[in-house]
Amino acid sequence: MAGNGNYDPSFAKEVFENVDSGEEIKMCMQCGICAGSCPLRHEMDYPPRQIFTLIRAGRRDEVMNSRAIKLCTSCYRCKVRCPRGIPVIDVMHGLAHYGIKKGIIPRKGTAAFGGEFWKMIYNIGRIDEKTLPLKYNLLEGLVPGIKSTLEMAPMGIQMFLHHRMKLLPERKIKGIKDLKKMLDKAKEMGKGGAS
Amino acid sequence: MKYFLYGGCSLEAGGKNYMVSLEPVCKALGMELEEIEDWNCCGASISYAGANELSIMTLNARNIAIAESTGGYDIVAPCSSCYIQLLKTNHELKEDEELRNKINVILKEGNLNFKGSLNVRHLMDVLYNDAGIDKIKSKTVKSLNGLKVAGYVGCQTVRPYGEYDSVERPKVHDQLLKAIGADPVPFPKKMQCCGSGIFLTELDRCLGLVKEILEDAIANGAQIISTVCPMCALNLEMYQDKVNAKFGTSFNMPVVYLTQLMAVAFGMDLKSEAALDYCVIPPEGIIKAAIGG
Ligand code: SF4
Ligand code: SF4
Ligand code: SF4
Repeated sequence: MAGNGNYDPSFAKEVFENVDSGEEIKMCMQCGICAGSCPLRHEMDYPPRQIFTLIRAGRRDEVMNSRAIKLCTSCYRCKVRCPRGIPVIDVMHGLAHYGIKKGIIPRKGTAAFGGEFWKMIYNIGRIDEKTLPLKYNLLEGLVPGIKSTLEMAPMGIQMFLHHRMKLLPERKIKGIKDLKKMLDKAKEMGKGGAS
Repeated sequence: MKYFLYGGCSLEAGGKNYMVSLEPVCKALGMELEEIEDWNCCGASISYAGANELSIMTLNARNIAIAESTGGYDIVAPCSSCYIQLLKTNHELKEDEELRNKINVILKEGNLNFKGSLNVRHLMDVLYNDAGIDKIKSKTVKSLNGLKVAGYVGCQTVRPYGEYDSVERPKVHDQLLKAIGADPVPFPKKMQCCGSGIFLTELDRCLGLVKEILEDAIANGAQIISTVCPMCALNLEMYQDKVNAKFGTSFNMPVVYLTQLMAVAFGMDLKSEAALDYCVIPPEGIIKAAIGG
């Protein structure tokens, strides 16, 4: 099975079945337009087109450990331009979500930030712009977390001085109980599975 | 015209100058805005890390369903990220019956139902298509007198559906700027993504994107950047220091919201309505010089 970049014939099937929008990859004709359109293509180890090739070739490790699936900014250029109408961005997000669920993607980085983001939505229904970065930074441990937070502090102070910080903590929405019930149901019914 | 306003989380905080300025501008144009009752966060573009597609769709379907059952007016989203989340959900649920049924099973947990009776629209869309250029021109009492503005569009403002503007060659932002007397400069990077929500986590990779956008705006003669999304504004304005530190540049480019410029042109108060003092890089000097006073 999945050794060091070994060939795993079941991987493509796994992606089609378990990853949100994963089955869309079957339509890819490898034209490379998505890769050419991506603003972060130079930072990605494998641009989207290549990710799809690797999936079909059963290269589980390269795909799941790839930096590319964590770098997507959600700019939608790939989706707009793909001649086969593949929602490339949704596949990239689906892969990232799947990787986190399987514990492959580390706790720090965009993926983890998104995880904290989601927890806050689930718990209060909204995002509190003050405490979210702090919670995120603390994921790397207390000391480095405080350091990262202080590095961003000048920005926060500037925002504060220009009335762009809300002082009161965000309160729960009134319908939070119902929202939780809905989200639990969605988690159970959705393809990306429980996280 | 009456609308639901979906301000989302950022218009209450980092994007406050957007909210402060859009309210009087919309009012002057005869648009009435009402908040969606007990709205929840749209999930932004980053929630996929913690949730599957269906869960993120649920968030947006709940907001739309509440809007449908409390008045049914179109929803206006000023934040491009909120806009795209709501639009995508509305679009896919209207088109796909199976998905709609699934969502309605979920919404039933909160006694809500998605009918598909309203539209989700970006603020630029309603300014351009409902209020209209003529009305905006007629409200302009202090022309911006040829102020050179880079009308930054960014990514999610028109992509992926191109509901009200071209996804490859958008023109609405520039048309709105022209209507208030500004001179929008041609600006090839106006569609390049600014890095969005991965900024906090992938800082080094995103600073390059912001640098390219700023450089391009300046090379084309812009004196100021106009945006229509709180994430764009935040990234382009607040990270100039870090770009300067990393690349040895000396950017000090004011970044405002389109609605701030409109408030100025409509002769409104520069502070309480145009919210110019909310900007960290002060735009007052350039703007006052343009309007003459
Ligand atoms: S949505 Fe993501 S993958 Fe697609 S072009 Fe933008 S950054 Fe690249
Ligand atoms: S643009 Fe579409 S068809 Fe072309 S490589 Fe990318 S996903 Fe495949
Ligand atoms: S350019 Fe950046 S902030 Fe603006 S819509 Fe795109 S990702 Fe969002």
